[in-house]
Amino acid sequence: MKAIAVQGLRFGYSNKPLFDQFSLNIEVGEFFGIIGPNGSGKSTLLRLFAGILLPEKGAVELLGQEIRTLSRRKIAQMVGLVPQESFFAFEWKVTEVVMMGRNPFLGLFDRPRQTDIAKVEEAMRLTEVIDFKDRNINSISSGEKQRAVLARALAQEPEILLLDEATSHLDIHHRLKILTILKGLNKKGRTIVFVSHELNDAAAFCSRILLLSGGRCLACDRPEKVITTDLIRQAYGVEPFVFSHPLTGGRPQIILPSE
Amino acid sequence: MDSGLKTKNPLLGWLGLVAIFIVAIVVAIVTGPGGLSFNSFFAFRLPRVFIGIVAGGVLGVIGGALQALLRNPLVDPWTLGVASGAALGASLAVILKLNSTIFLPILAFLGAVLAIGIVYSLARGKSGLTVTRLVLAGIIVSFFFSSLVLLLMVSGRRSLGEAVYLMMGHLGVVFTSRSLPLFIVSGLLALAGCLWLLLHARELDIISLSEEAALSLGVNVQFLTRMVFLIGSFTVGLVVAWTGAISFIGLVVPHLVRMMFGPRHSRVLPGSFLLGAGLLLFADAGARNIVPGGLPLSVITALIGVPFFIYLLRTRL
Repeated sequence: MKAIAVQGLRFGYSNKPLFDQFSLNIEVGEFFGIIGPNGSGKSTLLRLFAGILLPEKGAVELLGQEIRTLSRRKIAQMVGLVPQESFFAFEWKVTEVVMMGRNPFLGLFDRPRQTDIAKVEEAMRLTEVIDFKDRNINSISSGEKQRAVLARALAQEPEILLLDEATSHLDIHHRLKILTILKGLNKKGRTIVFVSHELNDAAAFCSRILLLSGGRCLACDRPEKVITTDLIRQAYGVEPFVFSHPLTGGRPQIILPSE
Repeated sequence: MDSGLKTKNPLLGWLGLVAIFIVAIVVAIVTGPGGLSFNSFFAFRLPRVFIGIVAGGVLGVIGGALQALLRNPLVDPWTLGVASGAALGASLAVILKLNSTIFLPILAFLGAVLAIGIVYSLARGKSGLTVTRLVLAGIIVSFFFSSLVLLLMVSGRRSLGEAVYLMMGHLGVVFTSRSLPLFIVSGLLALAGCLWLLLHARELDIISLSEEAALSLGVNVQFLTRMVFLIGSFTVGLVVAWTGAISFIGLVVPHLVRMMFGPRHSRVLPGSFLLGAGLLLFADAGARNIVPGGLPLSVITALIGVPFFIYLLRTRL
């Protein structure tokens, strides 16, 4: 079963097509990475998956259903999105932010039920934000905040979890924590789509990686087929050292040249 | 960043708000020049209290909803120019001698829509909607529309005093058999608008994060945005048609309520209704008692609102 299927996609900003005749399939249960230079279309693609942007031409299907036929609520029940950064104009408690993830399941007259509260608690336990659930979201560190936003996405119980450079602003401790949580979720069958500038993270955690350049697919394959000196040079215009090591489980890792 | 006003027990906060509300009603009824008689109670004081409750309540609720929608603590029906747009519509009704007819609220509503349309398109630059552009556009439009109100009223041979009341607010409407039913219908419609917003409190919570977050959490952002602007200009239009443009109530009140109850709109909106109504009645009592003959309401509300605005500028922006 395909989690996400894109057929003949066309999309652009101000009449300049970024994607044209673009197709892609992501299977249920994949840990799928999307990498590529700035402006290559990674975030745009993720927003097309989440139905925040709609294609000019072509089809995007979520779990076999064309996205245009789905309501916002239905999409939010299938797809959770963790953005790079979140801003809160008001002083929300962590638990109130996570509870917003239950919105797609609540009707106009509904208040959160016992089951909703239980799901929110579970999401907060999994992301280890439960210890400060009554703290103001603007008073915790950016790593903790990002885990709270991840908890909000998990409270949606989505089949597909989209992350847009969700670890970019975090130190290695918090970065690893989030990646480990994602790996655990993926083991339980959740489909993860992970957009990142951290090529080594993508190589270490993803089962398949899409390398984008100017809206085109340069490669879409297992990490060792994508993270190669040739392809990285072609996409980014830098000359990396690529190696793999038993400690990395044979996954490729790169080092940038310092001269 | 927890404020000292925050109540541990929300029940206590609600009791406080209801107490303020009731005391304000009592003060509005018993104080004022000329003492209280059976006639003056029914002819002047009671209508004043009803208009005050609806106007203050609506301004508080709409202020809270607009602040959520625009993620901006400085917006309210007054800073966005909606109130002055409505005042322009109302002044047009006055000089066309339509001010006891259904055209008064309709023209005020159209004026409010015009104002919010102009402000929104002025503020929406290449880099999207920013706090500064929005408030700046609102103030410019307010000035412009206020000038037009004066121009219309004076060239229509109405008194300057009447024009000033329209621009700065008053509760001194004397009902006639023609205008009373119109007021009752306006009031009920305005309350219905507030109720719609209260029913969508959870979605207002979510849209206050960001458009993208709201979309990904299942909120129909386009529909909600349109409805908040529509209900905002409709209810504010209805209110301004009766009272003129009143400043700062919609700005200050939701903040005070958030300090007490936190930001959830299921509490902020009803709390803002009670506190907005209470504060406006107190301001009106002040306006009537400080100077014989009365003052425009915005004179009093600005005296309270400006120090609070400065506090917001220094702590929240």
